[in-house]
Amino acid sequence: MAVTKVVMPKLSDAMESGKIIKWLKKEGDRVQGGDILAEVETDKADVEMEAFGGGVLRKILVPAGETAAIGALIGVIAEPGDDIAAVVASAPATPAGAASAAASPPRPAAVTPSAPAAPVARPAAVVGAPAATPAGPGQGAQVGRVKASPLAKKIAAQAGVDLRLIQGSGPGGRIIRRDVEAAGSGAGAVAMPAAAPAAVAGAEFEDVPLTQIRAAIARRMPLSKAPVPHFYVTSEVAMDRAWELREQLNALDGQPKISVNDFVIRACALALLTHPGVNASLQADAIRVYHRAHIGIAVALDDGLITPVLRDCHAKPLGQIAVEARDLVERARNRKLRAQELSGATFSISNLGMFDVAEFSAIINPPEGAILAVGSVRRVPVVDETGLGVGRRMMLTISCDHRVMDGAMGARFLQDVKRLLEEPLRLLV
Amino acid sequence: MATHKFDVAVVGTGPGGYVSAIRCAQLGLSVATVEDDRPGGVCLNWGCIPTKALLRNAEVVNLMSHAADFGIRLNGFEASYPEAVQRSRRVADRMAKGVEFLFRKNKITLFPGRGTLKAKNVVEVKGPGGAETLEARAIILATGSEPKSLPGVTIDEKTVISSNGAVRNERSPKSIAVVGAGAVGVEFADVFASYGVQVTILEALPRIVPVEDEEVSKELARTFTRRGITIKTGVKVASVKPGGPGAVVDLGGEKLEVEQVLMAVGRAAKVAGLGLEGLGIQLERGFVKASATMETSVKGIYAIGDMAGAPLLAHKAMAEGVVAAEAIAGKSPRPVDYGNVPSCTYCRPQIASIGSTEARAREAGRDVSVGRFPFTASGKAVALGETEGFVKVVADKGTGEILGVHIIGPEATEMIHEFAVGRTLEATLEEIIHTIHAHPTLSEAALEATLAALGQAIHI
Repeated sequence: MAVTKVVMPKLSDAMESGKIIKWLKKEGDRVQGGDILAEVETDKADVEMEAFGGGVLRKILVPAGETAAIGALIGVIAEPGDDIAAVVASAPATPAGAASAAASPPRPAAVTPSAPAAPVARPAAVVGAPAATPAGPGQGAQVGRVKASPLAKKIAAQAGVDLRLIQGSGPGGRIIRRDVEAAGSGAGAVAMPAAAPAAVAGAEFEDVPLTQIRAAIARRMPLSKAPVPHFYVTSEVAMDRAWELREQLNALDGQPKISVNDFVIRACALALLTHPGVNASLQADAIRVYHRAHIGIAVALDDGLITPVLRDCHAKPLGQIAVEARDLVERARNRKLRAQELSGATFSISNLGMFDVAEFSAIINPPEGAILAVGSVRRVPVVDETGLGVGRRMMLTISCDHRVMDGAMGARFLQDVKRLLEEPLRLLV
Repeated sequence: MATHKFDVAVVGTGPGGYVSAIRCAQLGLSVATVEDDRPGGVCLNWGCIPTKALLRNAEVVNLMSHAADFGIRLNGFEASYPEAVQRSRRVADRMAKGVEFLFRKNKITLFPGRGTLKAKNVVEVKGPGGAETLEARAIILATGSEPKSLPGVTIDEKTVISSNGAVRNERSPKSIAVVGAGAVGVEFADVFASYGVQVTILEALPRIVPVEDEEVSKELARTFTRRGITIKTGVKVASVKPGGPGAVVDLGGEKLEVEQVLMAVGRAAKVAGLGLEGLGIQLERGFVKASATMETSVKGIYAIGDMAGAPLLAHKAMAEGVVAAEAIAGKSPRPVDYGNVPSCTYCRPQIASIGSTEARAREAGRDVSVGRFPFTASGKAVALGETEGFVKVVADKGTGEILGVHIIGPEATEMIHEFAVGRTLEATLEEIIHTIHAHPTLSEAALEATLAALGQAIHI
């Protein structure tokens, strides 16, 4: 039976270290892969940490209350007879605080002028099979040297990928080309939920082979704006009828309160199904088109931003979306999200309406292919056939990954979202 | 009928089969092998090894014909083709005995006879001493391949021969048409031409060695033509009929009269009578479908080597044999990297390549930089008097990734491994140029071609 190193997982892009809140297993407990070992406090949320291998939790190296750098050895799972002395000896003497010294280089994808619009809390870009690979994530960083092939180093440098954030799948955990490419495109970074909702059937996604022209676009676009070439499409939506409908719905007794954002989520979910090209993600040599709409909802926190994922929005009625979104947002603010709620979005929505923002553009959250930026519903003068009047208008701006889709695709999607919001009864059927 | 129990039964003992058997034994498994010919398969007995012996003879003959270039005057010499074939048989015998020795050393039991799958874990062996039954936890199929022909052309191994006949025939014809200009075709063309046979190569595609880089095809065609070999490309063989000195090859109008015809148009998996259908083992385009760990569609039954599909190369079979053995032993082997299998042709000048040709790299949309270095500019090659050919390196312009390397020239087949290792380690052009290459060596041409891809070649 293999000895499994338990290392501090990387639970968000910006995470450098994590604090053990408490161990849920004690030394000597038998654990299986998937068991919750401990609760970890990160810069973003309190997250449950799973075991990647089975056996007995032989050793806890970082006790509750202490902090460890990502990738640092914090425990060892092995069979009772296995010799773990060498593994334990390989742990750094002082795991705590080691990470704070190691400054993380800027991540281009996570930086935006309109800061709150950039969702940054995402799971580690860990690829490969953690349980089978002796080297944990960030193992190279621990010993001060990243084991990576020359080609992997070059591609990482060109794509702006930080090799310390990648787990290698080569011999001895060496980072090779495919690891960098997977991290760059986000393949493997998306952890699917443990159990898919029973109501949804069919394939999770399909991989459509890249055409020559698409391959060429995919290759060239990053050179102009590394690593994700954005383009933006903006549209104004007449929200009068949606506003009216919302007031009627919210006047009903015993029904959940519905926000404008819930309307937008529902409209996007329906439109994503009819425009799967927008619900897509660039892979190494394919475009992954999702058949389900898992929508990331950007939630502003006092000290940053987090994007919990509302799964299978296309299969949920408006009321359910309202209830679940509210729950997600509340738990996000209280930092009580589960790890799987932080990953797996196929599309994201960032709404700054509450800040009286007319319009803005958001930065795509790789590996997703697009993000919708939602402005305030404003009362503005409008001219119609009866003359000058007052109407409620809302600006929507979609940011699209040009490697995955073109302007017309984004525009058609946005047109559909607009139509759904302007004829909001469609959101109820 | 006796029943024997083993952990693993390997059907076929070619390079795939015997390597997998030995690797299984190393991993502590009990192994039975089944062989209806001699251990070593086509490779050792009728393919790779004896043809290399014949090609070495061809090389010696060529060298002697050019003795005057070295100031050595011979008063004529006699090159006996039958003795060349006899020598190649001695070489093959010795290597086949080597496999038998390795089986004994690793305590592998050899069951002579034909193996047939009777059930998921049962192989029946029909041998000279009657039938025996092998029961095994896992079965590795490694029965290899056999020469194909063209529709309407029957191989009789007398007038119309395959590589099987060509390595056995002690008589060399006066003239021969070689149909198919892949590795087998051009190697035999070289051997026959060196022994004074009038050789005509017939290839349906627009160029000889069509899977190689276009520049390599051109260079080989140039040297072959200079050596008196006739090359006809883009021709289709409509029929081969008895007539003239032996056979008349109809090229759809033009007729070619030759003493013998060698069919070298490819090989087909040897799967007939193996019992695959009974167990529902899936095929794909005539080859057995296997997973990354070489397991067929039936659990516990593995297929490796030629029968498991392209490329039909002994070294690919050996690599697959190791993967299958380790998978059976419960390890998690690294799958074979089919994008990094060197391809070698042992005619003179030799050809070796790995990765993509320039054309394929461009088709794949890569922005490539190409470096070339001719052996005429290599001191070692000039000293050897072997200045034909070149090294060509195809790399990604942006990253320096080595996309493909194509060598035609002296010892090309030995030089390719520098790039094979480099590609396995994901080295880029830079790592190659920062590796000091000894002087004077042929491998300096590899360094120079790499430098050339970066626009930094020194010696050209």
